[in-house]
Amino acid sequence: MRASRYMLFLYAAMIGTPVLLYIRIFSLAGGMLLLSTILLALAAIGLVVFGILGYMEIYSGRRPEKMPLDIPVHYAPARHEGRFEGEGRSVTLRVARFDTESKMMKEKEYCVRADRLTTVLGALLAIKENDDPTLAMRYSCRMGICGSCGMVINGKPALACETNVFDSISNGKIMVEPMYGHPLTRDLVTDFDDFFEKHVSVNPGLYRKNGAEKYAAKKPYDQSRKEIDKFLPYSYCIMCGLCLDACPVVNANPNFAGPQALSQAYRYHADSRDQMGDKRLFDIDTVDGVWGCEFAGACSKVCPKGVDPAAAIQLLKGELFKKVATDEKEG
Amino acid sequence: MYMEILDFDIVVLGSGIAGMTSAIHAELAAGEKLRIALVSKVHAMRSHSVSAEGGISGVLYPTENKDSVLLHGYDTVKGSDYLADQDAVEMLAENAPKEIKFFEHLGVPWNREENGRINERPFGGMSVPRTAFAADKTGFFMMRALYDEITLHKGVEIFHEYIVTALLMDRGRFVGLHAIGLKSGRQVLFRAKSCVIATGGFARIYGFATTSYSSTGDGIALAYRAGLPLKDMEFVQFHPTGLIPSGILITEAARGEGAYLRNSKGERFMERYAKSKMELAPRDIVARAIISEIEAGRGLRNKESGLEYVHLDLTHLDSRKIDEKLPMVRDITTKMLHLDPSKDLIPIRPASHFTMGGIHTNINGEVMAGPSGKTADGIWAVGECACVSVHGANRLGSNSLSQCAVWGRIVGTAIAKHAKGSWKITTEAARELSAEEENRITDLTERKGSEDPYEIMKEMQATLDKNLYVYKTVAGMKRAIKEMRKLRSRYADIYIKDKGSVYNTNLRDAIEIGNMLELAGVVAECAAARKESRGSHYVLEYPERNDKKWMKHTIAQRSIRGTRISYIPVRINKWRPEKRVY
Repeated sequence: MRASRYMLFLYAAMIGTPVLLYIRIFSLAGGMLLLSTILLALAAIGLVVFGILGYMEIYSGRRPEKMPLDIPVHYAPARHEGRFEGEGRSVTLRVARFDTESKMMKEKEYCVRADRLTTVLGALLAIKENDDPTLAMRYSCRMGICGSCGMVINGKPALACETNVFDSISNGKIMVEPMYGHPLTRDLVTDFDDFFEKHVSVNPGLYRKNGAEKYAAKKPYDQSRKEIDKFLPYSYCIMCGLCLDACPVVNANPNFAGPQALSQAYRYHADSRDQMGDKRLFDIDTVDGVWGCEFAGACSKVCPKGVDPAAAIQLLKGELFKKVATDEKEG
Repeated sequence: MYMEILDFDIVVLGSGIAGMTSAIHAELAAGEKLRIALVSKVHAMRSHSVSAEGGISGVLYPTENKDSVLLHGYDTVKGSDYLADQDAVEMLAENAPKEIKFFEHLGVPWNREENGRINERPFGGMSVPRTAFAADKTGFFMMRALYDEITLHKGVEIFHEYIVTALLMDRGRFVGLHAIGLKSGRQVLFRAKSCVIATGGFARIYGFATTSYSSTGDGIALAYRAGLPLKDMEFVQFHPTGLIPSGILITEAARGEGAYLRNSKGERFMERYAKSKMELAPRDIVARAIISEIEAGRGLRNKESGLEYVHLDLTHLDSRKIDEKLPMVRDITTKMLHLDPSKDLIPIRPASHFTMGGIHTNINGEVMAGPSGKTADGIWAVGECACVSVHGANRLGSNSLSQCAVWGRIVGTAIAKHAKGSWKITTEAARELSAEEENRITDLTERKGSEDPYEIMKEMQATLDKNLYVYKTVAGMKRAIKEMRKLRSRYADIYIKDKGSVYNTNLRDAIEIGNMLELAGVVAECAAARKESRGSHYVLEYPERNDKKWMKHTIAQRSIRGTRISYIPVRINKWRPEKRVY
């Protein structure tokens, strides 16, 4: 606990009074009588007044919270649209912002009030709407299905809308950064052009030899539970880009197709309705394709939807090995 | 600054299920000869359609499910409280099964029965199970299949993150769209022969909404400002189960799979309101039941948000069933509320969810030029932003996805034919109109106003949450009209603090807020004009449906003196109006 200024006066008065008393006794014979009497009286008053003030402060339980004066405090309830001044406490968000003019990162601190259900996205929106409308970020559905709000929260790539403020707090602060695995656009917004190109490059989409039959859609393609289970786990990808941000290979070699695209190649390859055959597989049979993967597994760890891209890539490698083996047998 | 001008045959505005389906069908119908632009204000695969959860309706197995296209039509008409146009409803019911198969062929992993057939689940207001689904992420899977499919169609060029600020019309004919590229900050003119508006609804005019932040009704506002008529704008659907405190959607499929609604005493209160259908009554009825319970003091109160709510109870459902058919419900409640749906009750209350009203179109999705008669040249509208009208006064759950798919095909095919015709891109008119719009945007960014757009948005949302909710009153609607008028005049004096050009979300938000404000005013005026209760529109002073006087569609058009309201008749051919009891 920090001593308040009242307490300092109290201590000064407590030490000062005996000293003055001592001077008073020994100066009875001398000429300091009047001066020492006045000083003693003042010290006694000080002792009483500051003693009472200090006592009141200690026992009233009032602890004025110290806030840096330049940071305004706003309330960010989970239901950020409303303005219900409910419960909550203040939280500090440190936001790394990419400046488009200077091409530099600048960090800025904001304080918001949050309750137990506030998400990081809710807090950021409260900042944007109440405090700093220039803060740029990408968001939309706020329920973890559109894949817009991927960012790095306290060092971990995550969706801001699914991350609770208090689950991610460390040292009383939350650090929010853009995904550095993608080119930076502005503040927390990153560029997805390369990412989408990689996705398109692996021939995603259900391919049928007879296009007319596919679009006429007269008869459903029946599938058994077992056939569905082969690709279903890989079909949950929301294209948020977090796996690419976590992948050590993509960050070193931007040409690597990356976990998102490759997992989607497997998703369609494993679908019994697809008829592209080996073309999709052979297209990624390259060092920047499946063989670029070093199986670090970071992609699977950060995926917010439980897709396991690392496993998908190993399965693709397995499929390619099988092809080589059968080719050798036949050849 | 030099404006960029891009010429296309067709420009599709909006990248949800309706928009992408139209683009694909336009290319399929035309061959690869057309140049199609798909313009989206978000990344194309992130449109609000991803949030659709429960499923898509369509009669797939009539004999096995004891179902028929006619029954689907009847359920829809009854659900709409007899305001739907019945020829359009028949079209929906007839074509929906085909579209489910179409999406299956694009790769949607529908849930299946043991024999490999597509599974169908019960849904609110539907007499029999006829809703196909892919877990409780149906919209997401359809969107992903569409996005992946569209990458195979080389004639379609996607413009991610372009917000359109004006629909340019020259003497009743479409000439182009004026847009701002968010990433570059540059203004762009899209010129085309024809245009599809597929920008979705505007449920975000309310604060407590299930929809994405992007559901701001931009396309509807653009059409309204361009002088095109809007239809049935007073009908806004409140989804019974919006999660406390954020409004996130808990799918109706939860009740379809057997979940109960309980009040603070633990009673299944739907008994009192819809004895036969219980929790699976249409949404307007369930939403009113919940609010009635809360007003009777049988609700609970959330400490953090101050919102009152009732409980959705899934605890009696098999945990494996939840994992297989409702994984997203578990995901959301665990991550957002730290609740386990197998053990805990889920706090919910009605949240604004879907807007039945929209741009007035004929049965083929062509936008009308006036209340009746001629169509506007070169403009179509599909999906939630359009009012065909198949949903009437209240939409049945899972009919929206079929609507997007069915009219996506109809419009896509028709527009391809139009674009192949002898129309020429009008050069001069579009450029002049676009230059005007450019000046307006530049003024908006550079002016020194005194009003904060976010403040205006919050006041608008608070006013509507309070005055135009599940139960409306005459006084409340009057207050809302007055308040919206005040806010509109304040909006004229806004300032945009962000002066940057790259990814200026402050500017984007201001444009969206302007759009929402425009529509909120129309909603309030149309609501106040309708002196009866029908479907989602319930006025305490007029608690009965009045077929004699009000069996008609509201048409709202912009005029110098505000919103001009007129009425057109409902097309009734098969099903005569009767009392709506569930």
